[in-house]
Amino acid sequence: MADTVNAVRTAAASPAGPRSFRWNAGLILGLGMLAVVALVAIFAPIVLGGQASGLGGTPNLGSTPEHPLGTDTLGRDMLARTLVATRATVLMAAIATALSSITGIAIGIAIWLAPRRIRELGLRAIEFAVSYPTMLVAIIVAAILGQGVVQVVVAIAIANVAGFARLTANLAAKIATSEYVTTARLMGVPASRVAARHVLPNMAEPTLILIAGAFSGALVEISGLSFIGLGAQTPAFDWGTLLNDGLNKIVVNPIVIVGPAVALTFTSLAALLVGDGLAAAANPRSNSTQARLVRDKAAPTIERGDAVLVADGITVAHGASGATLVSDVSFTIGRGEVLGIVGESGSGKSLTASVVAKLLGEGLSASARRLELDGVDLLGPVPPRELASKIGLIYQDPGTSLNPAMVLGRQLSEVLTLRLRHSRRASRELLLSKFRQVMLSDPEGRLRQYPHQLSGGMKQRAMIASAMSTDPVLLIADEPTTALDVTVQREVLTVLGRMNEESGTAVLFISHDLGVVRALCDRVLVMKDGKIVERIDDMAGLSAESVSHPYTKQLLAATPVVTLPTAAPTARTEGES
Amino acid sequence: MSTQTHESSPVSGPGTPVLDGPPRAASLGGAWRRFLLRRGVGLVINLALLVIVTFLIVQLIPGDPATAIAGESATLAQVELVRTQLGLDQPFFVQFGTYLLGVLQLDFGTSFRYRVPALEVVMAAVPFTLAITVAAVILLLVLGLALGMAVGVATRGDRRRWLGGTFNVVTGVISSVPVYVQATAFVVIFAVLLRVLPPAYSPAYGFGIAAILPIASLTVGGMCSVARIVRRETAVILEQDYMRTARGWRLPALSLYARHMLPNLLTTALTLSGIILTALLGSALITEAVFAWPGLGGVIVQAIAIDKDYPIIRAAVFVIGLISLVITLVIDVILGLIDPRTLGEKRG
Repeated sequence: MADTVNAVRTAAASPAGPRSFRWNAGLILGLGMLAVVALVAIFAPIVLGGQASGLGGTPNLGSTPEHPLGTDTLGRDMLARTLVATRATVLMAAIATALSSITGIAIGIAIWLAPRRIRELGLRAIEFAVSYPTMLVAIIVAAILGQGVVQVVVAIAIANVAGFARLTANLAAKIATSEYVTTARLMGVPASRVAARHVLPNMAEPTLILIAGAFSGALVEISGLSFIGLGAQTPAFDWGTLLNDGLNKIVVNPIVIVGPAVALTFTSLAALLVGDGLAAAANPRSNSTQARLVRDKAAPTIERGDAVLVADGITVAHGASGATLVSDVSFTIGRGEVLGIVGESGSGKSLTASVVAKLLGEGLSASARRLELDGVDLLGPVPPRELASKIGLIYQDPGTSLNPAMVLGRQLSEVLTLRLRHSRRASRELLLSKFRQVMLSDPEGRLRQYPHQLSGGMKQRAMIASAMSTDPVLLIADEPTTALDVTVQREVLTVLGRMNEESGTAVLFISHDLGVVRALCDRVLVMKDGKIVERIDDMAGLSAESVSHPYTKQLLAATPVVTLPTAAPTARTEGES
Repeated sequence: MSTQTHESSPVSGPGTPVLDGPPRAASLGGAWRRFLLRRGVGLVINLALLVIVTFLIVQLIPGDPATAIAGESATLAQVELVRTQLGLDQPFFVQFGTYLLGVLQLDFGTSFRYRVPALEVVMAAVPFTLAITVAAVILLLVLGLALGMAVGVATRGDRRRWLGGTFNVVTGVISSVPVYVQATAFVVIFAVLLRVLPPAYSPAYGFGIAAILPIASLTVGGMCSVARIVRRETAVILEQDYMRTARGWRLPALSLYARHMLPNLLTTALTLSGIILTALLGSALITEAVFAWPGLGGVIVQAIAIDKDYPIIRAAVFVIGLISLVITLVIDVILGLIDPRTLGEKRG
């Protein structure tokens, strides 16, 4: 479920705009169906009460115009009985759900906030409770308290408490170990505040979905208990008892099970639609078109020359709204050159990089007059092998860009074995040599580790090693130091600079930080609102006087000067994170 | 996947900085040892709790348990007989001691109805319940995962809206039909109308033939629920940074989905499967009634609703609880193999 949280963050960062609640057909339909059920529950006993329990009709009728769903063994109309039973059934399920959710969430939060020992103990207790099938807990309670409506509600409520407590505790634990909450705690924010500000809001969505599911579950379970004779006892009746009555006549008069069966399914479906609708509403996926990269008809304005990368007139638009996100961005990168693109978030710098990498996000469409990498036309179809070997990629957050479920050796060398057709052993050796080059301690051991066992800086160095293992002609680094702390930033920058010097790989370096860019890049483009506003060719003579655009002057004024020593002091070692 | 368990490295695990020598990568051996120790202790505690709970089933009956169990029409002598049979005439702690000693020797007392050791009656029913439940869980996990993944990948980034919509409606409706209603419908369709499968268990039919309908009715709804969850999870995982990284490596689709996406999906699917399995055990208890299936469900419902056969109730609850505990442990071990982050102490 932590992935849900990630998705929410992704959604918030997507070009579609801020996270918002969106109504959808499923949610509206589900709520509508629930409203129908509620109205029936309120009015059916008033209007049809007499007909549902009045005796004297013809027993065991099939479907007739007068009794569309037949009559039971005592001649009572099954349609009326089904509708009247709505109140008892739904009320029982709703009360059981309310009891279990309130108690369960309270227990879950209490356990999470408790001291470590009590928390461990509490989690064991929950696990024990959850390991009992709901039905078994209900049956135990029925065995102790006897059969009846109240007993069944209590039984199902008790049985479901553990589920809510476990979900709450697990969600809280998962969110609590997520990086932003760890950050908050390290900053000394009290636990109760962390719970209120970070943990609870992120739990609301899965909890609401669970409540919808639990209601549907309680409905089915309570009716199930009545069905086997442990729930409502005559003369009280709910859908479960009606179904049981019908089952006895299933061969002779199957129509009588239709009423309770359909009613149960309808209500359970309504709850499910609401749950799903809530999930979809809180987490909208606004992308409606596939990513497209097309050739602009206009003639190219930049000649190829001897540049490694020629990008001429890159334009990116949002597929659905048509809003232009990047307009007419052109640049070249020479062999061994480091080109920086600086700009604030939303300036289009990362989108530009994703076009060059042919990794444009869903829902976007891009065009360019010319886009060539090392003589390969990126606007046409390019074999994946070619792309894999020519472009190395480093991403912003090493914490999320490595697969948590795979050891490093496996995931970082896959591109070598699968795309570049190296043998397993050769891939391993190659990766090891790159690990040594980026100064990772104990390279052999790292291959067997999972990403969560490494610190952020080590993960990013491993990423760099992997990106360089294909010996690419262009390395695209999209904010590679933003998620790292300052000293680690320095190390990563130094490693990048050294890789560039030693292997002569051209680098496209994206950052919002002019100070970082200044330390590494030969030339810099400044982007704002999807356009290049300044081209800085002379990095040595960079000063407030040498730039013309006011935005660049602002950036410059806000950046302290960072210089990198040429002899890299990266030999310092790092502990485990 | 098991290579990390027999790590030769002496380092005790993540989180323990090495003080001397060159820094070495931590192995997972320590994490596994701590995990197994913790879970072993947990299992023992859970067993103890299980003994206490089953003991209390009788003690917690409101009023005088012996009178309640013997029934309203019982004579005084019958009530007293029940009282001595369950040891209710003894002091509380003596009762518990006797019960505990009995359980340690696998003796839950003699069934009131069948006049044989209660555990024998229960153990005779266990294979029947396990057979349909385990078959249903494996089927619904495999089919649900495959279906959910296929639809999730096919509808990624809002492709093929019609497929997504159809999938949602069909699986939604099917998974909202209660298992026992589905079972009833299956009986009507396949046994009453088409007459191709037996309506209920009977030694006259082969075990396999008779098990088809119970397994099918336990599988179909759960499969749809799993498929829905997996599809949603697939969409979420496909948007993760590490999937973008994998696309950046230009990996072929098979590796992308089977190696990079599936393990992350399995974490969710297996976490769910524990919950589904215990829920399914519960559904099985009711569904067995529809098919007259000679499993634990029939035994326990009969013991509670009709016979008030408390030795059997205790034995059945103990056995079902034990099965659940073992399955939960097995699932957590598999989860740990797939995603070692779940070995951490912070997880529940």
